[in-house]
Amino acid sequence: MAQTSGAPNQSAAAAKKRLAEGFRRRGIITAIMSGVTYGNYTAFMTLAMSVGIWTTWYGDNSGFTPFAVAFMLSALGAALTDTFSAVWALLIAAWKGKLGDFYRSFKTKPGAILACAALIGGPFASTAYVIGLQQAGSIVVPISALCPAIGAILARILFKQALTARMLLGIAICFGASALIGMSSMGGTEAHPNMMIGLLFGFGAALGWGIEGCVGGYASSMIDPEVSIAIREVTNGLSNLIIMVPVLGMIGGADGFQVIGQALADTESLKFFVVGGFACYWGFMLWYKGNAMCGAALGMACNGMFSFWGPFFCWIWIGLVFGIEGWDMPLIAWIAAILMVVGIFTIATNPLAFFMKKKEG
Amino acid sequence: MMPLNFAILKLFTNGKEACPEDVIEALRPEYGHFKALNKADVLTALMTAESNGLLEESRFELDENGEVRVFFRAGAEAIATINKYIR
Repeated sequence: MAQTSGAPNQSAAAAKKRLAEGFRRRGIITAIMSGVTYGNYTAFMTLAMSVGIWTTWYGDNSGFTPFAVAFMLSALGAALTDTFSAVWALLIAAWKGKLGDFYRSFKTKPGAILACAALIGGPFASTAYVIGLQQAGSIVVPISALCPAIGAILARILFKQALTARMLLGIAICFGASALIGMSSMGGTEAHPNMMIGLLFGFGAALGWGIEGCVGGYASSMIDPEVSIAIREVTNGLSNLIIMVPVLGMIGGADGFQVIGQALADTESLKFFVVGGFACYWGFMLWYKGNAMCGAALGMACNGMFSFWGPFFCWIWIGLVFGIEGWDMPLIAWIAAILMVVGIFTIATNPLAFFMKKKEG
Repeated sequence: MMPLNFAILKLFTNGKEACPEDVIEALRPEYGHFKALNKADVLTALMTAESNGLLEESRFELDENGEVRVFFRAGAEAIATINKYIR
């Protein structure tokens, strides 16, 4: 035993500084990678819903009502991806010897809170988002991009996490960048008769994702993130598949269970759902882990780059690799990506202090 | 038996400080077969708890290999929070 922080020498202090900086760097990389994998999850889920039986379901002669096409099929796509993600999560937990902790954590208070947060951020927020899009159109996209700001504010109130004016400025920059992509990819703000209802649902989606991000991140400081994500995906996969799809099918005049059976028998799309589920596992696991390591404000802003990575990987996988037309990347998405990096940089570090340090160095 | 990460946090509710090596030693009898009971994973769990205000750094030193060894502890408010969530 040698030096302590009560009487630190230079080498101990330097090693401690390296450890702290390394942890913060790992946290930021984890949160950024959550956005990258989330983009791949989006691309493979979209690809799966563009082939096989899905081409018939989304075609002119699907036999479904417009409600069933809009809501039940969207929920089914999410349900299949979440279910395969749950299978991946359980397999990875078993491989790492954490399956026992999965069962044990599910029965605890943090486990129950996590499952509730997953339901709020999963089926409820996703459905609210789709309803918002249907009712108010593309204006809902930037509204839903408010989720990092909501997550950061909630984390400040609930868990006393840091939230300075500079961090809020960075979140605002990221929000603006996400809004740019959303507005450009969906054709601007056209008039809709139920605009206010749609906006409320859009805000509900942002609230749901914000709650899940900050609660999931905090819970992952108590529960291992690989166990947290198994709880999330099992909860979401089952609730989507057993409750949401049949209920939305019933409202839309379709037999949800029969549709699920047909989707599971369609190997052409299923292989892409399996890959999408794997990316989904990483997307959410790294999201929780990143939020736990660097706080909801920075973690959710880094993850928020998925609004760039989503179109980017759709372009790469669907457009370039599988040659399906209509998936080009607009110039505005690249500009928005640069803006997001500026926003994340603003949240993570004081630009003035950063440049002063460079100058001194 | 509680989940490993719960047991790690619960260890600090006695108000005493501990470093990753102390945590591993204390939990080895019950959790010795857990793959995650290693220095790197335990340190990450402790630093994550610190980021979320559940633990705080009490001191640090260089070990015999010249690596930094950080000691953590939980304050009264954090102990109450841990006990509220983990029984």
